[in-house]
Amino acid sequence: MKQNRSITLRRTAQIAFLGLFVLTILQATYPFRPWIPPELFLWADPLTALVTQISGRFFDPVFLIALLVLFSPFVFGRAFCGWICPLGTTIDISDRIIANKNYRSARKYRPLKTTILVTIILFALFGIQLSWYMDPLPILWRSLGVLGMSFFFLLTDTVLNGFFNAGIFPDTVLNIQDKISFALFPVATPRFLILFLPFFIILGILLLSKISRRFWCRNLCPLGALLGLISKFSPFQRVVNEEGCTSCSVCQKKCKMDAIEDDYYTTEKSECILCLNCRKDCPADAITYKFQSPKTMRSSTDLTRRSFIGAGAAALFGSGLFSLNVLDPSKTDRCIRPPGSLHEDDFMERCIRCGECVRICATSGGCLQMSFLETGLEGLLTPISKFRIGYCEYNCNLCGQICPTKAIQPLELEEKQKLKVGIALFLKDRCIPFKLHENCIVCEEHCPLPEKAIKLEEKEFTDPETGEIRMISYPYIDPDLCTGCGICENRCPLEGEAGIIVTREGEERF
Amino acid sequence: MDRRTFLKTSAIITGMSLVSDQHVFSKTQEPVSLVLVKDGSPAQMADKVFELLGGVSRFISKDDYVMVKPNLSWDRRPEYAATTNPELVSAVVTQCFKAGAKKVLIVDNTCNDARRSYKNCQIQEMASQAGADVRFVRDSHFVETDIPGGITIKRWPIHKEVFKVDKLINMPILKHHSLSQVTIGFKNMMGLVGGNRGRIHRPFPEKIVDINRVIIPQLTIVDAIKILRRNGPSGGNLKDVEELNTVIAGTDRVLVDAWSARIFGKDPNTLKYLKLAHDAGMGEIDTEKFKPVTFSYKS
Repeated sequence: MKQNRSITLRRTAQIAFLGLFVLTILQATYPFRPWIPPELFLWADPLTALVTQISGRFFDPVFLIALLVLFSPFVFGRAFCGWICPLGTTIDISDRIIANKNYRSARKYRPLKTTILVTIILFALFGIQLSWYMDPLPILWRSLGVLGMSFFFLLTDTVLNGFFNAGIFPDTVLNIQDKISFALFPVATPRFLILFLPFFIILGILLLSKISRRFWCRNLCPLGALLGLISKFSPFQRVVNEEGCTSCSVCQKKCKMDAIEDDYYTTEKSECILCLNCRKDCPADAITYKFQSPKTMRSSTDLTRRSFIGAGAAALFGSGLFSLNVLDPSKTDRCIRPPGSLHEDDFMERCIRCGECVRICATSGGCLQMSFLETGLEGLLTPISKFRIGYCEYNCNLCGQICPTKAIQPLELEEKQKLKVGIALFLKDRCIPFKLHENCIVCEEHCPLPEKAIKLEEKEFTDPETGEIRMISYPYIDPDLCTGCGICENRCPLEGEAGIIVTREGEERF
Repeated sequence: MDRRTFLKTSAIITGMSLVSDQHVFSKTQEPVSLVLVKDGSPAQMADKVFELLGGVSRFISKDDYVMVKPNLSWDRRPEYAATTNPELVSAVVTQCFKAGAKKVLIVDNTCNDARRSYKNCQIQEMASQAGADVRFVRDSHFVETDIPGGITIKRWPIHKEVFKVDKLINMPILKHHSLSQVTIGFKNMMGLVGGNRGRIHRPFPEKIVDINRVIIPQLTIVDAIKILRRNGPSGGNLKDVEELNTVIAGTDRVLVDAWSARIFGKDPNTLKYLKLAHDAGMGEIDTEKFKPVTFSYKS
C-alpha cells in the first residue's frame, strides 16, 4: 500500500505541474494581471537558459531559477523528467492510448539525444539558436498556448453559439461567453495562419511512442540528455535487494525508460526518471529507492567521439550555411516584428518560438502570427505582424511584457505608443480615393494617434465622363507621426490586399 | 425585497410623482418632441430630458425590453470624448428601469478590441451597476436583414436584438468625423451593423441612411457634454475636447441630428445624409422652424 501511495504522489505532482503549466498559459491574456509569471517554466528551463544566453551573448538574472532544475540531478537524477516536465506528463497520458509497450525497441537511438544537445550548444556558440526545435518546454508552450487555445476556443464558441442560435438559455450562454471573454480569450475566435507546423511537431512527438514508450524522452529530448549527464552523480537511486530478487524481469519489461540492464540490478541513471513504477511492480518487493554513494559508470548515452565529431561538423557547416544566407532574410518580405524587438540578428538568437507573444497578442489586437518561410528557414515560427489579420492595439504593450528571453524588450506603454515598427504607405493603384476618386477615409478614422498620422487633403475632382465636379478627401501619411500599428491596413475595406500597407521603412529596433 | 419588486415599486412611485407634477400636464396639448438641457450633472440632465419630454413612461412601458445604444467603440477613457458619457448612460438606464423596463441591453460593435473599449470607456461598469446587460457583440449575433427601400444597400447583417427589443434609445456622442463632418445619431447605428463596415463609407450618405431605414430608435439622446472638435471619431487628444455641457434629445432623429450639427457649428443643410434622410421622410431638418424646449441649470 505504501508503494502505491508514492505512485499516487508522483502522478499528483505530474498533474499539478501540468496544471501549473496550463495556468501560466491562461495567465497570458489581456487583461494582464498575472499572479504566476507566464514565463515561469521557460525561465526554469536550463536548456533555454543555457542556449539562449550563449547564442544571444547576454545574461539575465531571471534565468538563475533554471539552476534549480539544472542542479536537481545532483540529488534526484532525472526526477524532473518523471515528476515535473509537463511534456513528459503529456506523453505519459497519450502513451496510455498509443504507446508500443514492447520494452526493448529502438534502444540504439538513445545516444541521439546527447548528440542533439551537443549540436544545439555548438550552434549556440556560433550564435545560432536552435534549441526551439527540440526544447520540450517551448514546444509545449506553443502547442498548448497557441494551438490548444485555438482548439479550445473554437470548440466552446461553436457549442455556445449553437445553443445561442437555437435559443437554448441564450442569456446564460451570453453570460458564459462574456465571462470567458474576460478571463481567457478575445471576443472573436483567434485565428492563426500556420498552425499545421506546431501541430505536426507535437503530433510527431506523441506518435513516436508507437515505437516505444516515451520515445521522445529516451532518445531525442536534449533537456533530458542534459539532466541525464548530471544524473550520473545522483546519490538517490534504485537499489535492488539481491536476496529478494527472483530475476523475473518484470521491472525491466515495465520500465518506461528502458533504464534497467539485463542483470536487473544495474540502473542506467542517466535514463531513470524515478517514476517508481518498478518498485510498485516488483512481485518480490525487492526494489527500493534510497541514497547511496554514486558509482560513476559509463553510460550508453555518453557521447562517442564519433558523434561528437559529427555534431561539431554539423554545427560548423550548418552555421556556415546560415552565415552564407542573406543577412536578414526578413528584409526580403514585408515582415514587421513586434514593437520593442531587438535587431534582427539578436532577435533571431534569442527568440525561442514559445508563442507567448502570439498568444497574448491574440487576446488584444491580434496581429502577431508565427512566420512560415517569410523570415527564412532560420526564422521559422518567429513572430511577425500580419496586419490583414489583426493590428497592433494602441493601448497594448503586452508582447514585450511577456517575452521570456526579452527578444521583445519590455516597454512602458507611453514609449511603445511612440515606437515605430514601420510606416504605412498608400498603394495609390489600389486605394479607393486615388483609384476611384470616391471618399473613403476608413484608415484616417481608425488611426489611433492623437494627432492622426493619416491626414486628408480635400481636392476637386472632375469626372472625365460626366464632367461632374466633386470634392474628394485624398489621404496622406505624416511619416513622423505614423508608428506602423497597422490598423489602417487592417480596416481598409478593400478585399484582398489593402490600399494602405505598413512597410519596414523607419522601423526602430533595439 | 427582490429586484423585480423594487423596480415595480419604484415605477409606481415614479408614476405617482409624475402624476402629481403639474408641469407635465400644463403642456399636454402637444407632446414635446425636442429638448435641450444644459449645465447640469449628467444624471440631472438625463432626468430633466425625460421630464421635459413628458416623462420616461411616454417611451418605456412596463415590462419593455429596451436597447440602449451608446458609443463604446473606442479604447479611450471618457474624458477623451470618443465614447458616450458613462454617467449619462447609466442615468438613462436607471430611468428605463424606473418606468418598469424588464431588461435593458447595451451592445456596440466596437472599432478597437471590444474588451478594452468596453472597459476603458467605463460604460460597461457604470451601466451594469445601473442594472443593464452590457454584452459583447459576436459574429453569431448578426442576421442578414432585408432593407426595404434601400437605395444602395438591399441586404446587410444587422444585430438581431434590434428586431427583438420593444424600444431602442440611441445615445450617440457629438464628434468630429472627416467624412460626414460630424458624427451623431445616424452614424452611431453603425455599432449595430456587422459585415465589412468600411464598405458603408462608399457612398457614405446613401448607405448610412439605408442602414437607418431598418434600425429605428424611438428616442435619440445626444451626449454633447464633452464634444470632440478635431481628429474624430477616435480622438485621443484632450486639446481637441470642448466642454459644452449639453444634452439634446428628441423623437425625431433627423431633427436631433440637425440640431446637434448646428450646435457643433455645422449647417445641417450641408450634411448630405441629413438631406437624404429628410427627403426619405425620416424627419424634419429645418432648425429655424423647429426649436427645442430648452432648460439650463445655470439660469
